Amino acid sequence: MNSRALGGWTRYTVAMALLGLVLSPALWLVLMSFRHNSDTMATALAFRPTLHNYAEAWTSEFANSFGHSVEASIGSTLCSLLVGVPAAYVLARWRFRGQHQVAMWILVTRMAPPIAFTIPFFLAYTYVGLIDTVAGLALIYVTFNLALVIWMMKGFFDAVPRSLEEAAWIDGAGVWGAFTRVTLPLAAPGLAATAILCFILSWNDFFFALILTRTEAMTAPVAIVNFMQYAGFEWGKIAAGGVSVMLPVLVFTVLVRRYLVSGLMAGGVKE
Amino acid sequence: MAAETPLDRAAAVGPVPRVPHLGVAPRGWAQVQRRALRWGLAPALTVLALVTLAPAIWLIVSSLTPLTPTRPGSLDFSQPWQNYEQAFTSPEFVRSVWVQVKLSLVTVVLQLLIGLGIALLLERPSRLLETVRTGFLIPMVLPPIVVALIWKVLYTPAISPLHSLAAFFGVPFHSLIANADTAIWAVAVADTWEWFPFTMLMALAALQMVPKEPQEAARIDGASAIQLFWYVKLPYIRGTLVVAVLFRLIDSIKAFPLIYILTDGGPGGATEVTNYYAFVQTFNFAYWGYGAAIAMLLVAGVFILSLFISRAGGGMMIDE
Repeated sequence: MNSRALGGWTRYTVAMALLGLVLSPALWLVLMSFRHNSDTMATALAFRPTLHNYAEAWTSEFANSFGHSVEASIGSTLCSLLVGVPAAYVLARWRFRGQHQVAMWILVTRMAPPIAFTIPFFLAYTYVGLIDTVAGLALIYVTFNLALVIWMMKGFFDAVPRSLEEAAWIDGAGVWGAFTRVTLPLAAPGLAATAILCFILSWNDFFFALILTRTEAMTAPVAIVNFMQYAGFEWGKIAAGGVSVMLPVLVFTVLVRRYLVSGLMAGGVKE
Repeated sequence: MAAETPLDRAAAVGPVPRVPHLGVAPRGWAQVQRRALRWGLAPALTVLALVTLAPAIWLIVSSLTPLTPTRPGSLDFSQPWQNYEQAFTSPEFVRSVWVQVKLSLVTVVLQLLIGLGIALLLERPSRLLETVRTGFLIPMVLPPIVVALIWKVLYTPAISPLHSLAAFFGVPFHSLIANADTAIWAVAVADTWEWFPFTMLMALAALQMVPKEPQEAARIDGASAIQLFWYVKLPYIRGTLVVAVLFRLIDSIKAFPLIYILTDGGPGGATEVTNYYAFVQTFNFAYWGYGAAIAMLLVAGVFILSLFISRAGGGMMIDE
């Protein structure tokens, strides 16, 4: 498939057609969310759109759950950045014994199946009263966000020339003074991308929230699944909830698409 | 202080309010720097230890007991290996491993082929193709629960456009997820849809690193598109593809929302992967110790695959 075999317009047409095919299942859910309840069974493409499903979803417990999702995701992102960013800087600037072991540890943390965390966390949370709290959820999201922050930010700090920090040191700044005034501002775009990826990862979680929350801290994905438990599946409402949950992610993805590879690889490879 | 640089001296004599120990530190700036950096790393390592090491130890300990929250005193170490013995002799566990292997292999192969194919289609630099690339990423970034909903709709005959299309053309079919023979394929299709963008993204990144000269040379020598791919591009991107496959294999072990929503492990265990089996044993039946043992086996599997990644990544491993 080089340029001669598949030139200009043919390539574009094939690409667009494939994209349409790939996205059609998702578009169907969006369409469904705008259908009248009486129509959800119908599969005709033409219908009179309504916001009724959104109104129904957003006046139920789903609205609160959406708030919990926002709180847990932002809380976890901030904590992970606060702890992970200085560590990333140290790893970028300092060689020490055991670095390989620390790297492997962080990699396995990112790889470990969530069930391995959930069993001990569930028991510990029951004991200390963090079950069904947003704080508890934010804390368990740190297990995967911290590894992501450390590896992504290390890459961005590697790219900042040391000479700039050294100049700041000569001007009398301490290690962390130079870091906050010189290095961090230069890595700001990377910091933003990392924050957004942390947010998306926390936002997308279903498994932890399903097990560690009940009613008080239930997140939006769990609330949608709860819609499915009522007899006669309210498909319109379910679809409206699903679309509401995916919208923030779509917006953020457009913002960070350039960093997706390094983010998702988090520590495995250097691109 | 054998090699004191001008920098060290400047730092040592300069007004450095943030470094109060400077006066007493005999080795000067280098040591101050080390101490400051150590303080930067310490909180992260502490938190990591708290949120990963402590649970890991607890998981190992509880996997050696018949722990269950409903029975006090069940944290009992008299028969430490019984959970593991039970797992390997349990037909459900063995079946779950086979389901897992089947699902992982099928989805990873499909994701590799589809992802690579689309990457080759989109690799040329162009504004339009760049936008199309972002569009293809959508399935991967959607919340997994939304992906599961999307496919639940497609697989539910009463509301599925697929089923009504098939009926329209006179070839109606029964629900794929309610049939033990087809359920796993239905889950595999949904999983492939969700994750082919990952292999596509990795393949695209690798394809952009392939040097232009050998491609030009091959073209001048009259290589066909297939030859160009097989002999020129593939050798360059093979390493990245291997890493992508390993990443997908590891992540496929964690498959949860799709199975939870589409089939709940059924029908009759046909889609109950090991991760799901551990979930059911722990949280539905309250066999905490047994669930912990299964989770340990999963962690071991993941660890072995991770070792392959750092091996396969070779020079690419981030810690140099």
